[in-house]
Amino acid sequence: MFAAKLYDGHSAFPHDVSAAFADGRLTLTQDDGWEDRIDAALLKRLDGGPELIRLGRSDAPGWRLLAPAGASAEVESFLSPPDRYGRWIDRIGLFPALLVGGALTASVVAFGYFAPALLAPHVPMSWERNVGSAMVGDFGDIRCRDPKGQRALEALVERVAPGSTDGPDGIKVAALDVSMFNAAALPGGYIVVFKSAITESDPDALAGILAHEVAHVKRRHVTQALIRELGIGALIRLFAGNVGANAEQIVSLSYTRESEAEADSDAIAMLNRANISPKATAELFASLSKETGEGNGYAAEFLQSHPLNAKRAQKFAHAFDPRRKYSPALTRDQADALFNVCWKRPVK
Amino acid sequence: MDAVTSPPAQERRGIEFAGSWREYLPIAATNALLIVCTLGIYRFWASARQRRYLWSRTHVIDDCLEWTGTGKEMFLGFLIVVLVLAPFFLFFQFLFPALIARGKADAAFGVLFLFEIAIFYLFGFARFRALRYRLSRSWWHGIRGGSDDPGWNFGGEYLGRYALTFMTLFVMFPWATTRLWNSRWNAMSFGQLDFRADLTATGLKRYWALLYAVPFLVMIVAAVGGISLLGNGRGQPEQWRLLTFALMVVGFIYLAIPLLTLNFFAAFYRKAAAATTLGDIEFEFDATTWDWLKLMVGTLALIVVTLGFGLTYVGYRNWAFMIRHLHIFGTVDIGELEQSTTRAPREAEGFADAFDIGAI
Repeated sequence: MFAAKLYDGHSAFPHDVSAAFADGRLTLTQDDGWEDRIDAALLKRLDGGPELIRLGRSDAPGWRLLAPAGASAEVESFLSPPDRYGRWIDRIGLFPALLVGGALTASVVAFGYFAPALLAPHVPMSWERNVGSAMVGDFGDIRCRDPKGQRALEALVERVAPGSTDGPDGIKVAALDVSMFNAAALPGGYIVVFKSAITESDPDALAGILAHEVAHVKRRHVTQALIRELGIGALIRLFAGNVGANAEQIVSLSYTRESEAEADSDAIAMLNRANISPKATAELFASLSKETGEGNGYAAEFLQSHPLNAKRAQKFAHAFDPRRKYSPALTRDQADALFNVCWKRPVK
Repeated sequence: MDAVTSPPAQERRGIEFAGSWREYLPIAATNALLIVCTLGIYRFWASARQRRYLWSRTHVIDDCLEWTGTGKEMFLGFLIVVLVLAPFFLFFQFLFPALIARGKADAAFGVLFLFEIAIFYLFGFARFRALRYRLSRSWWHGIRGGSDDPGWNFGGEYLGRYALTFMTLFVMFPWATTRLWNSRWNAMSFGQLDFRADLTATGLKRYWALLYAVPFLVMIVAAVGGISLLGNGRGQPEQWRLLTFALMVVGFIYLAIPLLTLNFFAAFYRKAAAATTLGDIEFEFDATTWDWLKLMVGTLALIVVTLGFGLTYVGYRNWAFMIRHLHIFGTVDIGELEQSTTRAPREAEGFADAFDIGAI
């Protein structure tokens, strides 16, 4: 038997009652003869702080019984302790939950890390083509449509990777009228080159850039990125919030840097097979390195998706053989046509 | 005889926080561990646990508060919001780049604009629903709070007032934010008592004008100062003096803007609390700009010194700060305070969570 305060859940008035547990029931009485019996199964303990024991009722929201800490022995023998970590964790205990959760998390992270590379080669090219054409379409007005220039661009891709533009799964290359020095491989075998990359680099250097993008397509790096971004990345961002997104970005950066290095090695091999000098590509990266003013710090490289330009320049320069007789990537006419691919003749 | 009166300031305060960081440590530590080990899914249960602790250590007059929200309902609220926000995600991920790639930039930015309006509306809606949810899960003396307003109109009002604010280059901000405070709180209740908020921009305008004017003043000072330094070419080389001056101007901007913003919001919350009542209860919030600054710098220092573990104490520190600076005055007739008849919302603050609103 202990004295307690009762809130009935209808008004805020605290009623003084005497409480006692017996026969699986809690009996509350007042001096005026009022009495109430509650099945112990309906009662639950709530967190009442260090000074109080707080009981609630599952069938009556707001019903609260406040008992002094001295009554804890009596209450504890009838009722289980209040929820602690949440019911699903309480049921198995904190340490088993941490172990199971840790193992599950580790396997999800491992799956997220390795699955894109493992799955990518098995994604049918036709699926990817559908995704790709849905994403990029025909580029509308920003595509440079000069027929001679387009033919020269395709010839350059064929030069570094013979047969790669053939068939429905072949590489589709497009010049875009965007003043930016860049090129990219997109889902579905699309390669886009921006105008500045065409007008500001030597055809031999452009051959190096295109070979790099062709390698991305052939090695299904684009497919990997697609799976990672849309499948696993979206899930992680959804459930793990900001911390997860940051972690995912670091993982995917280290991942893409590996792919970039692989694509560079492939590009060097392609240039070698096509008998195109890698020197122009090396010079291009060297000048980009100077322009961006990158230092030799490890941090700079760690945070970038591409390897440092200076390092890439070295790699291409190393492949250059001064005694070899290289042939130019394009004929003079082709090079001129390509240079003018984004040039729109005034309408007569 | 049923009335409990909040005592005068010299005695025990009407509202007090009795938690201690040592007592909270096991909660912070296990929450952090469980969040990491569940890929973040535990964060809903973690915040329910955190609130259960903070509320239970907050004494109002003669009894502590109680938080009855659960991790499960917050998780379900989150899942609902994921479904609602899925079209937005698909748009940003697919439709927007696809339109850009097709050269249809006008259409892309047009749809982007519409989606941004929708997100803004939902943001306002989320702020309302978060407050309503929190009140409906906060109990005192077996009585809870809530609202009968679903908050759809508030979303519209939020959108409209902020549209006006943007169109007037933020000149209207004090009006917008004070009216929104009133609309939000006037829809809320505790038991059968309604909250009443009558906040006006009077007294806030000068704080805002100061913040608004500083960039222009700095520009004028910089221009005048720069020109006079150029004219006077003796002593140190001219470029050095110009550089020092430029650094001072930039440093001043980086210090002044955040401090003046803080100054505005500190004044806002002091006035907002004073303009809000619940039945015969009045509120006072006395945190000065300096107090807010100490809170923020302290939290930042704690996070740095503990190599990130301090993040688990952000909610604790914010709550303790709020309660320590909050005072309540007046009388509650506890015999008359009856249970709320508002419908307790079944979903939790999924929207607020999705938009990252609310520190606790």
